[in-house]
Amino acid sequence: MTDYDAIVVGSGAGGGVAAAVLAEAGKSVLLLERGRSLSFEAVGRDHLRNQRMPVYGHNAGPDIEGNPRTLDPASFPIPVGRELGNLRLLRPHEPGYQNNAACVGSGTRVYAGQAWRFMPKDFRMASEYGVPEGSSLADWPISYDDLAPYYEKVEWEIGICGDHRSMTHLPAYEKPYPMPALPLPHKSGVHKAGLDALGWHAMRVPRLINSVPYNERPACIHCQQCVGFACPVEAKNGSHNTTVPRALKSGFCTLRTEVMARRLACSEGGRVTGVSFVDADSQELTCSADVVVLSCGAVETARLLLNSATSREPTGIGNAGDQVGRHLQGHYYSGAVGLFPDVMWDGVGPGCSIATSQFNHGNDGIIGGGFLGDEDIVTPVTLWKRHYPPDAPRWGLEAKRYMRQNFRRISDVIGPTQEIPSPDARVSINPAVKDRYGLPVAHLSGSAHQETVRAAAFMHERAKEWLWASGAVKVWGQAPPRYLSGGQHQAGTCRMGEDPASSVVDPFCRVHSQDNLFIADGSPHVTNGGFNPVETIMALAWRTAEHIVRDW
Amino acid sequence: MLDISQLRCLEALLDTIIPPDDYAGAVEAGVGDYLLRQLDGGDLAELLPTYQRWLSNLEAEARADVGKSFAELNEAERVSLLKRVEKGEVATDWSLEPAPFFRQVVEHCAEGYYSDPDNGGNRNGIGWQMIGYGARG
Ligand SMILES: Cc1cc2nc3c(=O)[nH]c(=O)nc-3n(C[C@H](O)[C@H](O)[C@H](O)COP(=O)(O)OP(=O)(O)OC[C@H]3O[C@@H](n4cnc5c(N)ncnc54)[C@H](O)[C@@H]3O)c2cc1C
Ligand code: SF4
Repeated sequence: MTDYDAIVVGSGAGGGVAAAVLAEAGKSVLLLERGRSLSFEAVGRDHLRNQRMPVYGHNAGPDIEGNPRTLDPASFPIPVGRELGNLRLLRPHEPGYQNNAACVGSGTRVYAGQAWRFMPKDFRMASEYGVPEGSSLADWPISYDDLAPYYEKVEWEIGICGDHRSMTHLPAYEKPYPMPALPLPHKSGVHKAGLDALGWHAMRVPRLINSVPYNERPACIHCQQCVGFACPVEAKNGSHNTTVPRALKSGFCTLRTEVMARRLACSEGGRVTGVSFVDADSQELTCSADVVVLSCGAVETARLLLNSATSREPTGIGNAGDQVGRHLQGHYYSGAVGLFPDVMWDGVGPGCSIATSQFNHGNDGIIGGGFLGDEDIVTPVTLWKRHYPPDAPRWGLEAKRYMRQNFRRISDVIGPTQEIPSPDARVSINPAVKDRYGLPVAHLSGSAHQETVRAAAFMHERAKEWLWASGAVKVWGQAPPRYLSGGQHQAGTCRMGEDPASSVVDPFCRVHSQDNLFIADGSPHVTNGGFNPVETIMALAWRTAEHIVRDW
Repeated sequence: MLDISQLRCLEALLDTIIPPDDYAGAVEAGVGDYLLRQLDGGDLAELLPTYQRWLSNLEAEARADVGKSFAELNEAERVSLLKRVEKGEVATDWSLEPAPFFRQVVEHCAEGYYSDPDNGGNRNGIGWQMIGYGARG
């Protein structure tokens, strides 16, 4: 007899779905989350300490103290964190750490909820483009068609608003979105006219937001603090108010917060039998289960596997092919900022409503590309720190007047550029540095592939072109330099494939070397599309969890 | 923390970075409160000695330049002095590079003026009212 049918580690995007699908199928589930359950008040509205603008801290975890990582200084263009021998020692809110979040819901507690399907070509990048030197670009072992029914489930069951008719870059939808797109703010209308003038494709941005009341929660009230913050009316659909409550309501799921999984528990023969964890009172416990699902996010899932070495798998579970932790990727962000002659602002949040997929593929001499969209309302201090023109005055009456005259006239377009994976962009463990639980921390090394940098520079030029077409009188910004990416869109560290020598999980996200160990988060993504990843993470987790139930 | 003359110098500095016009200047908007809270055991506590040193250098520069303390200079004098500081063109022997820390002070000042009032500055949301953040339509 085991303690539970299944243990799911991590309550974010993937873990929430896995727990809900398993529990609703009548499996007893223990859901472990290292962070806390955060109320709206606990997340707060601190403009200097949030997941979007973490100047001095952040608001969705992990705790600043006791959760360090180390970084190879060559992975980042500027010195970050503190010096530690020949490495950098980072706290979670510092650049280079690759944080998403740690709380019930993880990033979904405070995200923007942009909800994108990847395109069919995103699943077969190597076949489309060939493999550039130094890259580990590969096809997914599954296709868009395998995932399409699960995209639809996420759209209807978790709740996505949008206009399927505008998604002409995708195969036709079987069903429309369950809710209409959010209303277009004034500035999105201006940017739409820019796209029309250029003859570029335009689409409404699908979002995990209630545009009308849905799932017994109200519609968005269009506040001005969406991305990086919690929703005052719970109109934003994240794991904390959809999948995790569903799992709990089934009566089959136990959620334990402030519990850190230390390692996978294994039999003498090296078979996974459960999970060992530490709770908030520093008590060490082990629970057994028939199935274990890891949903810790791409960095921490890799770390947990590497920290779980056994005599059968001495370099870490699933790591016989030396693949665990490699191919770390997120998205390069390319964009530009514009100053407009007329006021763009109407204060209608969230803000990001119009986008183009004109450049996701088919760009001469470029591998992949990405979409570009307008942006959510930025807070004044974010505009000051990130979007202020480099040549505008920074102090004195002139600077004050510049902000006064132009805060409502500045508007940017930006988007995620698909990364071309590199095997050297990597999570390993650093046994010399321990976290508050005494566990070796994640060590980050390597950099994005040069093709990623090239694609991002190309997208930056397209962003500028769009702003001019929208009527900007001044345009600024820079293409991103080379660095190690990951962060909020982290993925790729336990890639999916048929061959155990070059992948960590099989096409149903089962770790090759184990019968009962699955991964449901961004780690199995072979590539990460030119779109924000969360709908794909949720859809893939759904498919994996259904497979587990079907095969039980 | 800061002694009274350092405090007066700091306030004059903040009000030169964001001066009063028909909207409150930095000090009236609470930027001093924001900064003192950050320096007094807050996120900028490690910078307190640098603030003290930099301010005393600024003070010495003002005395050498105009023969008055920085807080006693009129606005035009403060602006022209800070323009030199910003370029690193100082007349006295500073114990630290003048320009890079000035850029940091400007940044801290903007944080106080434009971030949420719960951080201690932006009193009654004055910074937001001025630029129109929070407004609809
Ligand atoms: C401000 C912000 C805006 C975003 N906006 C968007 C957007 O608009 N669209 C989009 O697609 N994506 C967005 N994202 C990213 C999105 O949140 C992530 O892609 C998604 O949450 C990743 O899902 P995951 O399942 O891989 O991991 P996560 O959701 O990060 O879940 C991992 C969870 O596991 C827990 N955990 C880790 N290790 C352990 C352990 N050892 N023991 C116990 N628990 C553990 C963590 O605390 C965490 O809660 C945003 C993120 C942020 C922060
Ligand atoms: S913009 Fe809408 S969905 Fe976003 S936090 Fe505000 S009310 Fe909620």
